[in-house]
Amino acid sequence: MKSQLIFILSLLTAVTAMAQVNVDGVVLDRNTDETLIGASVIVKGNDGKIKKFATTKADGKFSMTLPSVTGCRLEISMMSFAKQSIALDSVKFPLTVYMEPGGIKLKEVAVKADRIREQGDTITYNVGSFAQKQDRSIGDVLKRMPGIDVAKNGKIQYQGEDINKFYIEGSDLLGGKYGIATNGISHDDVGAVEVMENHQPMQVLSGISFSEKAAINLKLKNKAKATWTFHGDAGGGYSWQPDGIIWDSEIFAMAVMPSFQNITTFRSNNIGEDLSSSKIDFFADSRGTALSQYVSIGLPGVPSLGTKSTLFNRSFLLSSNSLWKLKHGEFKANIDYSFNRVCANATNITTYFLNEGDKIITENRNGVDHTHSISGKFIYELNQKTAFINNTLKTNIDWDDIRLATTGTLPNEQSAKLPDYYISNKFKIIKRFKGNHLITFESRNEWESQPQTLNINISEKQSGQHISDHAFYTQESAAYAFNIKGIAIGIEGGIKGYVRSMDSELPDIPQELPGLTENVVNTNYLTIYAKPKLEYWVRKVNLTLNLPVNFARYTFNKAIANRNETYFSPSLSFNWKPTNRFSGTLRGGFGRSPMNLNLIHPGLIMTNYRTLRSGVDNFYNSSSQNVSASVNYKHTRHGIFADGRVLQSWSHLPYTMAQQLYGDYVIYSYADAKNDSKMLMAMGNIGKTLDFMRGSCNIHGSYSRNESHLLSQSRSVNSVSTGWSAGGKISGSPCHWFSFDYSLGYSDSRLTMNGINESWLSTMENELSLTFLPHNKWEWTISGEHYRNELTEHNYKNVMMLDTKLTYQLNNKIEFATYLTNILNKRSYNYTSYSQLSSFESQRQLRGRQLLFSITLRK
Amino acid sequence: MKHIIPFLLMCMSVTAYTQEKADVIVSYDMKSRNWETDTVSSHKMTLLANSKESKFFNDLSLWSDSLSSTPEGKKQLQQIIMAACMTQLPGGGMSVDLRKGPVKKIHTYVFNNLPESKLKYYSKFSGDLCYYEEPSDEMQWEISDSTMNILGYECSLAHSDYHGRKWDAWFTTEIPLPFGPWKFHGLPGIILKAESDNGISYTATGIEKTDRVITPMYSADDYQKTDRKKALAEEEYYCNNRESIIKAKFGGDVKFNYNTTDRPKYDAEKYAAEPDYKSK
Repeated sequence: MKSQLIFILSLLTAVTAMAQVNVDGVVLDRNTDETLIGASVIVKGNDGKIKKFATTKADGKFSMTLPSVTGCRLEISMMSFAKQSIALDSVKFPLTVYMEPGGIKLKEVAVKADRIREQGDTITYNVGSFAQKQDRSIGDVLKRMPGIDVAKNGKIQYQGEDINKFYIEGSDLLGGKYGIATNGISHDDVGAVEVMENHQPMQVLSGISFSEKAAINLKLKNKAKATWTFHGDAGGGYSWQPDGIIWDSEIFAMAVMPSFQNITTFRSNNIGEDLSSSKIDFFADSRGTALSQYVSIGLPGVPSLGTKSTLFNRSFLLSSNSLWKLKHGEFKANIDYSFNRVCANATNITTYFLNEGDKIITENRNGVDHTHSISGKFIYELNQKTAFINNTLKTNIDWDDIRLATTGTLPNEQSAKLPDYYISNKFKIIKRFKGNHLITFESRNEWESQPQTLNINISEKQSGQHISDHAFYTQESAAYAFNIKGIAIGIEGGIKGYVRSMDSELPDIPQELPGLTENVVNTNYLTIYAKPKLEYWVRKVNLTLNLPVNFARYTFNKAIANRNETYFSPSLSFNWKPTNRFSGTLRGGFGRSPMNLNLIHPGLIMTNYRTLRSGVDNFYNSSSQNVSASVNYKHTRHGIFADGRVLQSWSHLPYTMAQQLYGDYVIYSYADAKNDSKMLMAMGNIGKTLDFMRGSCNIHGSYSRNESHLLSQSRSVNSVSTGWSAGGKISGSPCHWFSFDYSLGYSDSRLTMNGINESWLSTMENELSLTFLPHNKWEWTISGEHYRNELTEHNYKNVMMLDTKLTYQLNNKIEFATYLTNILNKRSYNYTSYSQLSSFESQRQLRGRQLLFSITLRK
Repeated sequence: MKHIIPFLLMCMSVTAYTQEKADVIVSYDMKSRNWETDTVSSHKMTLLANSKESKFFNDLSLWSDSLSSTPEGKKQLQQIIMAACMTQLPGGGMSVDLRKGPVKKIHTYVFNNLPESKLKYYSKFSGDLCYYEEPSDEMQWEISDSTMNILGYECSLAHSDYHGRKWDAWFTTEIPLPFGPWKFHGLPGIILKAESDNGISYTATGIEKTDRVITPMYSADDYQKTDRKKALAEEEYYCNNRESIIKAKFGGDVKFNYNTTDRPKYDAEKYAAEPDYKSK
């Protein structure tokens, strides 16, 4: 019995063994006939489930045993090869499988690096996680990073404070003209944006002087380092208004090498893109020469719409910036040239409804402004822990020619030549010794000349005015600072010298206007000053007390009596940073200061064809007080950044501006009357990353109130302007083929004169841009802007602009794009407002529909 | 001429090493329980893989080790860490908080190699740098019917009893690479999620194509060869007797600011990823 059972059992086993199928074979590369190791081999049942699997071994072979393979398929797959699928019903083993080249597509899920990281005082934003497909420059991406704000002119703020340095791979190539980098560097070349909080740019001051400002550093990707990168755009097309050919082109070259950096860019367009943001020096000190332009012929203002629909320009910019790292220190040269031609045109039609028939008055203003600007800046800098040396030689020459023709009640043509010549040299040396002792020596010399010529042609009668104004400023100072037991004590002392002469002549003015027509003014001073500064550090608190004292002697070349003055304006600031996330600052100060010397001119100066200005004939001092508070909060892991600030200031002037009408003319002058003014400002901002859609959002608000006095027609007028604004933006990419940007801004303002309130007037701006990626080579963007401007109470002007753009990416290096802007072809911004007896109609031109084709090349 | 050939050979072998490019890069969130505090800690890990081999590591550790592999780099790393961690106190003093800087915390690297049918595991055991090798066939899988979508990929579930733990792994045949996080290998697709019966887990947070090179272990000579079970047993002893080991090392003059006897003992059943070293 027992033996029989064993026999049956062994028979059964044999049957099972016989029913087993051995699935084996070898996998080869079709092209090379080589065996493939690591190919995945799967037997799937007719239900699609995996029955058995294997991986090819070092010899390319696989082997599996299955009870049955009826209805089964064998699937062989491997990266970089097309998947093979073989029905197993009628094949003989061992199999030989040839793999054909082919791709295995990965879904668009990026490897997640943290979007924002924090390490010590450095916050690192991952550029790839904020960039969207339609972005071009790094500036486009910076706008989306919470905590960072990029103003319309390109100025960058971090947590509500202007940044104090902009580095590329740790080098300060561009100084304050970082707009060239933010507009030019492709975001694809930047790996990360680092924000260095409390950045002290001078290493020699680290641990001695506290800085509240932050710096930005662009960390480039390896592919953009140690090589030249280029990209160029060339675009051409047609515009319906102004009727004609349009262009937009850019060449950008950058080299970031260990001992040499260069950025050279050339840009030109006539499509309404303002290039001036690329040449503003955001870190420029105010000029010691302090000249200001008396002549002011403004082109007709543009309605509050974006520049790309209102600016009629031809712009050209060339900028070359180099940095050489020397054995000791570095040398930089920044050379820029720009040309800008702007036209503007405005028509105002006033209709008076009279019994005997309507009277219509048309005033048309048509102007052209040509600006050429050349600037050169040459810097040598040594920035070490024990020594800092900087010499900056700077020269700036601007030519500004304006022509403005006005028709109407007083038809005339004005033209002005307003060149500006400026040259300066600044030298600074700081030496640190015995650990915490510092000695500084600084020398500044500046010269500036602003000759101004105004020519007016009223009914074939020529008249003109010439002003010559030039100044020389010199400042020599020495400073000593040391640090004991948490208190940094510094004292700076020096002398400032200033020589300025201005003269003007107004040959023919209408008889009815009172006043002198000639000015010969000398405003000179010699100041000895001392600036003691105390800084106290306890773990989380920094207290800074500044106590500047000035002894000045003003001389006016006998026109006004010479004066000796003493000025003292102390200020105190208190910074508290209990944790890495929160920081709060309180500041306050008061003091006396001299008046703006440009206001001293007893005679009349014509600023435009119907406005004249006379200054004061005496020297005055003013006094002021201010207090402010600010708070910052950030939580980098949650991507939250918030800041808020409040500022209140008071100022007291012993003179007041007066406005007087004489026929068609307006004369501004100053009267001996006290003028107290007040200003209150508050603003806040909150930003947050939205990780679920690779996006971010931001909400901001502000409030301001200004109160001041002026005299109008010999009556005192108390004027209060109040305004508030609120807005927000959100951007994101909820799925891989779609991304969006939306922003909303609302502002409201009111002017109150002598307690009589005018109505609140609001403006609202909505912008939405949607980008679709139907295919990885194609990209389509459609964007719309809606403006709602309140002209008079409850009377709104709505404008809607629609743009679209289609991009085709041929490969990594070549891209084609077609832009169609202002699709609705809105050509004018006209509005009419009515009163009981008249109507006022304003007409402004807008840029019409534009079609632009462009090609982009990258290296 | 005599010197040139070995030099050329050396160059070739170097190129052979360095040219092994990965096909994909996967980032994982690794969760494990800390035995001393009994809290879950989470770390970011990365897998580089192609058809033949894979490397599993922590990005910060890789960066730190790559810098430390040259003397200049080591110096640079120290400077970077000091710059990030050091706060200058007024009056010339300074404080160093190493938590603020890029300090390496994870020592584990796993290299899977298909042609050699083995894996190499590098880590720190009992305070010493060690590595061991393990044949590939110690990990066997059984596929079940469940499916799950992870990062847009259809994944199938597989089970394994491995070194004393039951593991569930979700793999996708859409990416036919036989590797995964930690030591995992041997499934017909890349593993995007793995969970053990004691709560250790690896979850993919991103995956993309890459042409990064799978660089060999940095400073591999600093690691001593060891045996896995022996190393784990010694590690347990080290964890439980850390104070006395330190005391022995420094001659007894060490005081701890906590009561050493109150400290919990390491519970391999609960915390170890591979508790099989306990069973004889």
